[in-house]
Amino acid sequence: MSATEDTTTIPRVPGAPTDAPTDAETDAETTAVMAPVPAAAPEARWRPGRAGWLARGAVWLAVAWLVLALPANQLSPITIGPADVDIASRAVIFAIGGLSLHVLLGWCGQISLGHQAFVGLGAFTSAYLVTDLGMSFWFAIAVAAGFGAVQATLLGMVSLRLTGLYFALVTLAYGAFAENTLFGITSLTGGEGGKPAARPPGFESPENYYYLCLAFLALVIWLDWRLTRTKGGRAMAALRENPRVASAYGINVRAYTLMAFAVSGIFAGIAGSLTAHHDEIIVKSSFDFRLALTFVLMTVVGGLRSRVGVVIGSAFFAILEEGAFVAMVEGLIGGLGFTPTFFESVIGLPAEFVGLVVGPILLLLTLTLYPGGIGQQIAPITRWLGGRRFDRHAGAVREVEVDDVRA
Amino acid sequence: MSVLEVDKVSIRFGGVQALREVDLRVGEWEIVGIIGPNGAGKTTLFNCITGFYEPTSGAVRFRGRDITAMPVHRRTALGLGRTFQNVGLVKNTTVAANLATAQHLQTEYDAWTGFLGSPATFAEERRISERGALILDLMDLSDVADERVADLPYGVLKRVEIAAVLATDPDLLLLDEPGSGMGPEEAHALGDTLLRLRKEFGLTIVMIDHHVPLVTRVSDYVYCLNFGEVLAAGRPDDVRRHPEVVRAYLGEPEEPTGPAEPVTAEGVTTPLSTQEGAPA
Repeated sequence: MSATEDTTTIPRVPGAPTDAPTDAETDAETTAVMAPVPAAAPEARWRPGRAGWLARGAVWLAVAWLVLALPANQLSPITIGPADVDIASRAVIFAIGGLSLHVLLGWCGQISLGHQAFVGLGAFTSAYLVTDLGMSFWFAIAVAAGFGAVQATLLGMVSLRLTGLYFALVTLAYGAFAENTLFGITSLTGGEGGKPAARPPGFESPENYYYLCLAFLALVIWLDWRLTRTKGGRAMAALRENPRVASAYGINVRAYTLMAFAVSGIFAGIAGSLTAHHDEIIVKSSFDFRLALTFVLMTVVGGLRSRVGVVIGSAFFAILEEGAFVAMVEGLIGGLGFTPTFFESVIGLPAEFVGLVVGPILLLLTLTLYPGGIGQQIAPITRWLGGRRFDRHAGAVREVEVDDVRA
Repeated sequence: MSVLEVDKVSIRFGGVQALREVDLRVGEWEIVGIIGPNGAGKTTLFNCITGFYEPTSGAVRFRGRDITAMPVHRRTALGLGRTFQNVGLVKNTTVAANLATAQHLQTEYDAWTGFLGSPATFAEERRISERGALILDLMDLSDVADERVADLPYGVLKRVEIAAVLATDPDLLLLDEPGSGMGPEEAHALGDTLLRLRKEFGLTIVMIDHHVPLVTRVSDYVYCLNFGEVLAAGRPDDVRRHPEVVRAYLGEPEEPTGPAEPVTAEGVTTPLSTQEGAPA
């Protein structure tokens, strides 16, 4: 030991300055363990006043208008073109797709990097039934949902054998397989030329089709809500966190993992069928790996275990993918006197690649700053809308941790 | 008939013989304690009984039925309930939600019916949450029902865990260190709770614990495990004074200090005369 070190140690009274905080710490710990549970007084739940209800009602109305009226040119001061209405429909379909992946990623802790195959199979099934067999759309979408469930369950059986990264690779391979073989069966999918898929009678106009998609989104949200409020969803939450505890509770871990895949497949089948009739002619290149990647991005950025977050995130990514977001930004900066092809000519990024750059950046920000995604960021607002006090820090303690987001 | 029979169960992990021909009998309404130093194989034995491990040889019988190869969740359905050494609860949710999850097998509707939102499931959900509240009340935990599990102190969690396992409606309760993280008074109260639960629910209990006073107070019969083998078994006080047991805990032969007692107390069986140094 050197002399300088000696001089620094000598003046220290053993136990006094350095050890004191440690003692306090251990004390605090022991009392924390020993202390009886603080009796939570049954405080009456806080209720907003008249003005508070009015404000909330106004915001609810605004949201309802934004979702129900604006995209379909109802009660709206501005008129949007049919192409933009179709983008709104796409956003709704993506929300269904996001909720589909979210059943696996958020509720059950599984991953799927092959979700383009889930959706694609639903799309081609529906198109084939309607165009080639002349079935009704309603029958076709039900069959698409059923096919979705079957293929997802088959893939889920693999997940019972493999976990984590290895299973993720299998889903990736399944997506590639479906893309290159299943969707290449010309008689079923129309090959390169694509397969026509007419919209159901009465829903040909973009506005009516938008409402149709919205109705299906409402159905999916209802089913997803009931899932989490009942036996099946609770079983998934338990096995996601701790399969051993789940099985000790009497939960058949395998069966409920497969149920999660089946539910995800049903939702994906619905999304696929709606996609087919939305595009009216579908080609297999619409269901490439990029779609699967977008699905994962929008679900995680939307926020695991936040239904409203996933819906908003998915809708945002749909708008981004369709180029509408770029058009909006360029329209804005064009108004400020910049060149209207800002991304292409100034940044050197063609508009169709903006989504590919923005998505991963948002993912990084989500993983590092807000593991709970959009759902976490808007938690103060959603809580407020739910009739509770506005709390800027609501959602600060989130159950979602970065670990959950990792495969 | 014994509720639980563990018959010459051995399990080996690679080169480690974790359990060697362990025999255990648990009779109706008995409380059986399992003690032993760390690494003795107590939790491994529990894992064999509840199905997390399948023994290399031997059999586990529950009410005469061979359950050696039965999956965990089916044993739970038969009436085996267990707690875990390091708190077996779903941590990211509330205590009440855990109780609801634990009533999985008591929930009288199909998971798909629940998913489709059938009206009957709403009423059943209400019944489940009421039953959960009742069990929490029984364990004096009503005031933490809406707390997140991850926010609660360890000692409370051990009680929540017992409440959750009660919700699975067990006949046989296997408790892995229920008294850990508790002070002497809390451990004493836990002992009272266990005796009360046995009386009110007609439960049979097997518990692992290091609180020797707790184990000896509530147990009818005690097994001491060491290096994967049953070192001694018998009435609590006899096992506690058994020289092999004392040596296993203290690591040295007992020096007789008081008046010399007979070495083999009545009712104590000693399967092993010598203790071999197996890997811990």
